[in-house]
Amino acid sequence: MKKSRQPEVLPGTVGEGLKQRGVTRREFLKFCSALTVMLALPPAMASVMAEAISKARRQSVIWLSFQECTGCTESITRSHSPTLENLIFDLISLDYHHTLQAASGEAAEQARMQAMKDNEGNYLLIVDGSIPMGNPGYSCIAGISNHDMLVETAKGAAAIVAVGTCAAYGGIPKADPNPTGAVSVADIVKDKPIINVPGCPPIPVVMTGVLAHFLTFGGIPELDSLGRPKSFFGDTIHDRCYRRPFYDQGKFAETFDDEAARNGWCLFKLGCKGPVTYNACATTKWNDGTSFPIQSGHGCIGCSEPNFWDAGPLYQALSMPVSATGSLLGAAAIAGAAAGVAITWHNRSTKAAAKAAHEKVTVQELTREEK
Amino acid sequence: MSATLSKGINSFKEMIDAPVASFFSSCVHCGLCAEACLFYTETGDPKYTPIHKLEPLRRVWQQEYTLLGKLGKLLGLSKPVTDAELEEWKPLVYDSCTMCSRCAMVCPVGNDMTYMIRKMREGMAASGHAPKDLIGASTRSVEIGSPMGIRLPAVKAQMKHVQDDTGIDIPLDRVGSEYMVLMSSMEIINFPEYLAAIARIMKQAGKTWTLCSEAFEATNSGIQIGASDIAKVLVQRVVDGAEKLKVKTVISPECGHAFTALRWEGPNLIGRAYTFEVQHILEVLDEFRSAGLLKTTGFEEARLTFHDPCQIVRRGGLLAQPRNLLNMVAKNFVDTADRGKMNWCCGGGGGVSAIEEAEPLRLQAFKVKKAQLEETGAKTLVTACANCRIVLEEGLEHYHMNIPVMGLTELIAEHLTEGE
Repeated sequence: MKKSRQPEVLPGTVGEGLKQRGVTRREFLKFCSALTVMLALPPAMASVMAEAISKARRQSVIWLSFQECTGCTESITRSHSPTLENLIFDLISLDYHHTLQAASGEAAEQARMQAMKDNEGNYLLIVDGSIPMGNPGYSCIAGISNHDMLVETAKGAAAIVAVGTCAAYGGIPKADPNPTGAVSVADIVKDKPIINVPGCPPIPVVMTGVLAHFLTFGGIPELDSLGRPKSFFGDTIHDRCYRRPFYDQGKFAETFDDEAARNGWCLFKLGCKGPVTYNACATTKWNDGTSFPIQSGHGCIGCSEPNFWDAGPLYQALSMPVSATGSLLGAAAIAGAAAGVAITWHNRSTKAAAKAAHEKVTVQELTREEK
Repeated sequence: MSATLSKGINSFKEMIDAPVASFFSSCVHCGLCAEACLFYTETGDPKYTPIHKLEPLRRVWQQEYTLLGKLGKLLGLSKPVTDAELEEWKPLVYDSCTMCSRCAMVCPVGNDMTYMIRKMREGMAASGHAPKDLIGASTRSVEIGSPMGIRLPAVKAQMKHVQDDTGIDIPLDRVGSEYMVLMSSMEIINFPEYLAAIARIMKQAGKTWTLCSEAFEATNSGIQIGASDIAKVLVQRVVDGAEKLKVKTVISPECGHAFTALRWEGPNLIGRAYTFEVQHILEVLDEFRSAGLLKTTGFEEARLTFHDPCQIVRRGGLLAQPRNLLNMVAKNFVDTADRGKMNWCCGGGGGVSAIEEAEPLRLQAFKVKKAQLEETGAKTLVTACANCRIVLEEGLEHYHMNIPVMGLTELIAEHLTEGE
């Protein structure tokens, strides 16, 4: 993976670097076409993107990891074979990353400070993990609290990418009872463009796609109301699920080992959160397009949605109430029934009046007199 | 006295019931009904989408029977149904709906558009927006006794012809007969072979039967135009005749809507159960067949197919009977791809064949029937409804197709083993 920073052996532009590594232009164009499709850009943008990425000076990136499990880093680096995605990642200038950097201690922090100074206003800040607002000692790096490090590093960033659900929405650390007082990046940084790439972990190509967009257009892609790139988070898992026809036919697995489950029927009743989860798993899939949770027989747990850990039991169907109390439901039922009775009574009187007003239709009365 | 808009709107309000409310509120606007309607498939015009034909009725339902609709009406947000609108809808409710119900078969939420068209026509008739030809037919039915203006002497003349041809006595007003036979005007005027067939079949089966001088006509224009008050008068004639002659069973002839009128709507119209049974002639024949009372010899060699009359098969439920009977006398019977309850309408049911201005559209819609027939390669077309038969004959002639059409009863009679 990332080697130590040695400017004299590293190429100047991404294009040169790819060439050095034996990636043909044709392969690279194919990759860019796929990216443009996934980013919902016009097809003609593929070559524009290829040009832009090839010519781009290596983008300085600082990656901060806070309260996290390193799953997000694993996701992007531990693809089972070296993909173009992580080649590109190699070819950005990843100036600071706890897990991947060779440097440690003072030298590591020095690298961060240097990158911030050299690329002020231009570097991309990637954050994974949530930030504890309770005791700063819950999570600190080199004696600096996560909060302070984020604020300090965000100041000179061109944009921030909050990778993973923890950075984007607080994630598992924020789950009830939230012992560390965890918050998301957007809860702290208010004056920088933030792109949320949630998921536990997020899909590698989504991260690459966001990066490619940034390199090509020098800006951030179109985002939804939760700060996620629309091109990847525009549809629900359910809308794109290959098991959707079974849902439409009312064919559901009732347990994980029944005949229906073996036949690959819909997992809705086993708690699948696909219908309320926006992500690209069902289309891009995981492990080089091999599969995704539903395909391997388990429902979606909704990991790319805020508060997914507290959104009800993972194995309870979505349509079951999780919070409404019996008495509330009872009151609602009574109110509904009363409204129903009132409307019915009114409708009946309307109809009775119409019946009373009926004048017998004879053949003489089938035509208008004035005609 | 005259038809008025307020009478029509009142009639809509009176006609809307729980099924109508649930149909309108459960429509998901999927448009599948359009694909099932021959007037849409053959013209491609979306205004012929079955549920769209009911739009004025739907608005009255919404304005009168739903909370939001009532509010909207109160605040003047929804436009009231006007005479101009009903006049615009006249060709949709009458000319381009044969009440064949094929759309109801495909509706994923089970909406019965025919049930609603039938009700909507009540308001159309009461507001003076019924086609003039149907008004004429209704007037002749009530005042003369038959939509085609046939009186008893014409029936008697036909009885005499049949008697001379077959040598069988045609009974009239014979009290205590098992069966009372009705005819449609079409059969009296155009297809006398029906009465001859009945005479020969009844003779072989050894059943007593009679015609009734006060109730020989089975058709019911009140059902077609959508005027229950008129339909009731016409049903009452049959009921009175049958009860006077004390018959066990009234046989509805080879006529689609007559069966609907007598079998399904009749008791509701007169407000009580009959003292007799109503059977379609095909039901009677199939009973005779299974009781061994129907003996035939020989087979039709020509390739023939069956046109399912909508009111008898799809809405009447007689799916097996016509095929049982056909297989008795036909070696080369082939069904059309869409058959039985999914067969296509002839295009002239529900009063459409009587509406002169509907003819060009009806002939255009007939193309679906034409394609069906060409696909089977049939040389003869059999049906069990005189109205279908005349519409099919006209359509075949228009498209220069040389395929004879015959009634199933008549076909069975041609193969009766006689001389026993």
